[in-house]
Amino acid sequence: MPQVRVDNLSVGYDRHPAVADLSGVFEDASLTAVVGPNGSGKSTLLKALAGHCKPLAGRIDLGGLKPSEIAYLPQAHGLDLKFPLTLQDLVGFGFIGKRGLFGALAKSDRERLRSLMVQVGLEGLERRPIGSVSGGQLQRALFARVMAQEARLVLLDEPFNGIDARAAEDLAQLMATWPGEGRTVIAVLHDLDLVRRLCPQSLVMARQAVAWGPTDKAIAPAQLVRARKLAENWNLADEPPAAVLQQEHV
Amino acid sequence: MVAGDAMTLMALKSAAAGAVALAFGGAPLGVLMIARRLSLMGDALSHGILPGVAIAFILAGRDPVALTVGALTAGLIVAGLSSLLARTGKLPDDASFAIFYLSALALGVLLLGKMGKADEMEALLFGSTQALDAGGLALAGAAASATLIGLALFLRGVLGEGADPVFMKTLGARFGLSHLLLMLLLALNLVAGFRAFGALMTVALMTIPAAAARFWAKGYGGQAAWAVALSAVSGLLGLFLADVWGVEPGALMTLCAALLFGASAVAGTNGGLLQTRLMKAHLRGLKA
Repeated sequence: MPQVRVDNLSVGYDRHPAVADLSGVFEDASLTAVVGPNGSGKSTLLKALAGHCKPLAGRIDLGGLKPSEIAYLPQAHGLDLKFPLTLQDLVGFGFIGKRGLFGALAKSDRERLRSLMVQVGLEGLERRPIGSVSGGQLQRALFARVMAQEARLVLLDEPFNGIDARAAEDLAQLMATWPGEGRTVIAVLHDLDLVRRLCPQSLVMARQAVAWGPTDKAIAPAQLVRARKLAENWNLADEPPAAVLQQEHV
Repeated sequence: MVAGDAMTLMALKSAAAGAVALAFGGAPLGVLMIARRLSLMGDALSHGILPGVAIAFILAGRDPVALTVGALTAGLIVAGLSSLLARTGKLPDDASFAIFYLSALALGVLLLGKMGKADEMEALLFGSTQALDAGGLALAGAAASATLIGLALFLRGVLGEGADPVFMKTLGARFGLSHLLLMLLLALNLVAGFRAFGALMTVALMTIPAAAARFWAKGYGGQAAWAVALSAVSGLLGLFLADVWGVEPGALMTLCAALLFGASAVAGTNGGLLQTRLMKAHLRGLKA
């Protein structure tokens, strides 16, 4: 069973680690929320797992997953909204991993695409240009693309930020079903109520792991306060604290 | 057009066929170039082929094969070097292209001037339909076919890399593959068109109809179809007018494309001026 393991992982820019000495395991078919204050390395961790930046030190073991088996939704989607592309085209990109860059969509793919559009609530909007829909509708399409990818590992960076509450709730419910389909989901989230409601596992980050384990224990007020204090210290000195905190296994 | 009536008719017929082939090959590429904000790449390539053509001309005279090979080689070198410089991220893309195509243009001018063939320059930039022989026509047809087949095969990758580069990177798609393909096809169409219609005018017939198509359709397929139609109409209309007035057609074809662009910008159903005006008036009506 592929699980995602990180060992003494440090990732950063210009030799300043945004993630420092992180070790742990994301179990196969688990749903883990990554929470923590701004600048605590959450997005950097996801970027490294997606293969978009190289670790400064330590290693990432994806358990033999290929790049095409990873779906990554970055915080800023990076889409060129002026591009002449319909929502349907966008979701169709999800099949590139399976069919290759040059292969045509099979009939089964087109049927799957149709049912995905219904599932994410975009029925009837298939032919709308990507630049003409709301943030929530675009995010629904990007979720449909994640599902089209049939990815084993799904990395979501603040997927519900800046979209309407209805879309956020629909998509969060959808996300919660993915572990049941054998996908490992790692999501950076801010809404702690949502985390408690839907995510069995949590990782509280402040460059290192402050707490990592079952959500009810990891997201205790004490851990969050610790994470914030650590982050505040760094913001003052922009250096990791002298006394490296021991990770608490809960 | 110096030859007799029968010759003119032959030349006109093959020029018409060439213009339609160029429409099918060039216009879908034009839509992609505009979408990827690379329309300057067409200009860069069109100037970039000059030194290659000049060298071929010096070595082999008016031999069509040599001219074509020279143009293709020089075009690919300029496109490759500009892309490499752009990839370093030190300069914006358009600046990278400008540096190489202006240098190439200067080199071409110098080479042709040195040979005492400065008047060839005009034919190169603005074209001469007499140059479109059977071989040239076959090349135009081949360029159009290669473009349509290439796009049919690679379209999802090309669109994906343009619209969502982060996604393609996660998939492990080798960056630049679709960019390279786009450039190759562009160079091929340019080389097929430049001897008849001129390098600059060929690019104009790729990009101006593609820009006009934005006012008619939303998705890539629709825009490409509109661009092909507008490009073919501009080409044929320009040829007809050139025949009536007895001038070389390249400039007239481009001006026809520009007129159609103007008409599209006003009357287009996808954000044309009239439509936006009407919608505003409609909204004012609601408020009042």
